[in-house]
Amino acid sequence: MSSLKKCFNIRSRDFIHAGEASITVQQLLKQMRIDSALIRRIAVCGYEGEMNVVMHGGDGRFCIEINTERIVLDISDEGAGIPDIARAMEKGYSTASDAHREMGFGAGMGLPNMEKNADEMFIESVPGCGTKVRMIFFNRST
Amino acid sequence: MVPEFISFTEKFCTGCTQCVRACPTKAIRVHNNKAVFLEELCIGCGECIRVCQEGAVSSSVAPIEPFLKNKLNAAIVSPVLYAQFPGFTPADVLTGLKQMGFDHAIDLSYYIEMFQYAADEVVAENQKKHHYPWPLISPICPVVIRLMVLNYPNLLNHILPLKRPVTLLGGELRKKLSEEHGVAEEDVVLHHITPCHSKVVPDCSGLMNELGFVDQAVGINRIYPELLACMEQLKEKELNLFPNEHFSFVPSTRGPLWGMSGGEIAGMRTDGVIAVSGLKETRAYLEKIEMGLFGEIQYIEFRACAEGCLGGPLTAIDRYMAKSTVQKFIKMFGIGRRLPREKIRQLYDKGWFLSELEPAALIDIYDSTKNALTIDEMKQIEKLITRIHGNDCAACGAPDCRTFAEDVVRGEASLTDCFKMR
Repeated sequence: MSSLKKCFNIRSRDFIHAGEASITVQQLLKQMRIDSALIRRIAVCGYEGEMNVVMHGGDGRFCIEINTERIVLDISDEGAGIPDIARAMEKGYSTASDAHREMGFGAGMGLPNMEKNADEMFIESVPGCGTKVRMIFFNRST
Repeated sequence: MVPEFISFTEKFCTGCTQCVRACPTKAIRVHNNKAVFLEELCIGCGECIRVCQEGAVSSSVAPIEPFLKNKLNAAIVSPVLYAQFPGFTPADVLTGLKQMGFDHAIDLSYYIEMFQYAADEVVAENQKKHHYPWPLISPICPVVIRLMVLNYPNLLNHILPLKRPVTLLGGELRKKLSEEHGVAEEDVVLHHITPCHSKVVPDCSGLMNELGFVDQAVGINRIYPELLACMEQLKEKELNLFPNEHFSFVPSTRGPLWGMSGGEIAGMRTDGVIAVSGLKETRAYLEKIEMGLFGEIQYIEFRACAEGCLGGPLTAIDRYMAKSTVQKFIKMFGIGRRLPREKIRQLYDKGWFLSELEPAALIDIYDSTKNALTIDEMKQIEKLITRIHGNDCAACGAPDCRTFAEDVVRGEASLTDCFKMR
């Protein structure tokens, strides 16, 4: 099946450009007239994922693959990794630093929010090596 | 087709692509050295009017018609008008308008205050009932509303469902004036004096039925020279301390402040508010709201023009000069509050402020399902962009390489329009 794939780099601690990959993806999906509620869910997940990489990860990569049935968002980084994934998925659990909190982040809602907005989500993480998050959205409109 | 917001004189157009690049919705191309407008994408922001140095693109606001003797002419005054005359007070401006020949000059301050009160009420109610998602978005700027319909339809349910001050005023004005003066309703001519060229098109976004009752929109820049002359004449005669008459309410500073970015929220009690002006910034904020940010903010005032309505395309003086005039008014008069809250509350409870149309119903004004691109077409576009490897020079007549590639894939442009592909 034909699919469109696009990848973006995410730089660690680059708060200025954080969110740009999600915005570009938003625009692509709008050109394809994907259902607007679905675009919004993808945008929320993309942004939260990007912020996770910027705050906790090392450099990372943001890839999206779109076909008529589903949209797959892969966000991976070479950061510290998550030692206890079940704990990280709890609402309000956060390892953000004080500096992050001062910027308004670190409410501990990132991963729970992603899980809520994605149809399916998978996390793999190796402490010390990095984290991979895959989110799948079913494209019911086409 | 040329959008109804602008008037285009083809013989002046040199095909310079300034407007093509300035257009926020990519609604202009240059073909055969002439601008071509994609009417279905125009949100009436006026950026093309601002950048065109050849005078080929101008506002479609008509010049003011000569007053007919047997009609009652009333001017509904956008508060931005006051800011155009440093050295004069708002009352001078209203008097000057009468000197010019208007039978009435109607100030909007009271209606602005009422709107602000109602907006506070909606925010307070929403904190309890969560009927609308945060942040609520101001319904005031028609260009922002159209931008949202076109590009951010997801966010339409954020728009505050209230009528705008002019609409509130206009509802009963014609009837009252005709009763007051014993003339037939059709003999009352209402002129809306405005800095906003997108007000000329009736009912364009459905939210604001302003032109339904206003007979004519008049650009501030059209009447400026004549009005200034009248005001200077009056100043010499020292007649500028006119008492107010019916409908010619004494203006409060809320009016002039309203025209400035941040003026709408300055009159509200709600704390979690921000004001954003300029199209680029507005888009950036709307994108972020779409990504789930700003949930802790209650109300955002968006204005498509930088610095707010003071920067509108039909103003007569520079926006920063106008802003300085407004700031002087605030120093002189303060912001103040003049209306009895209980009375406005009664009107609010009766639903007087509520807009008849739910913002979400606006989605049909732009037909957005027509041109969906398939995955294969998207891949072709990506491939073309890699092949062109350009720097968005716009020499092809499209605003950037991506849009050009899209036009090629849609069959609306030829690849050889790009000089790198020849």
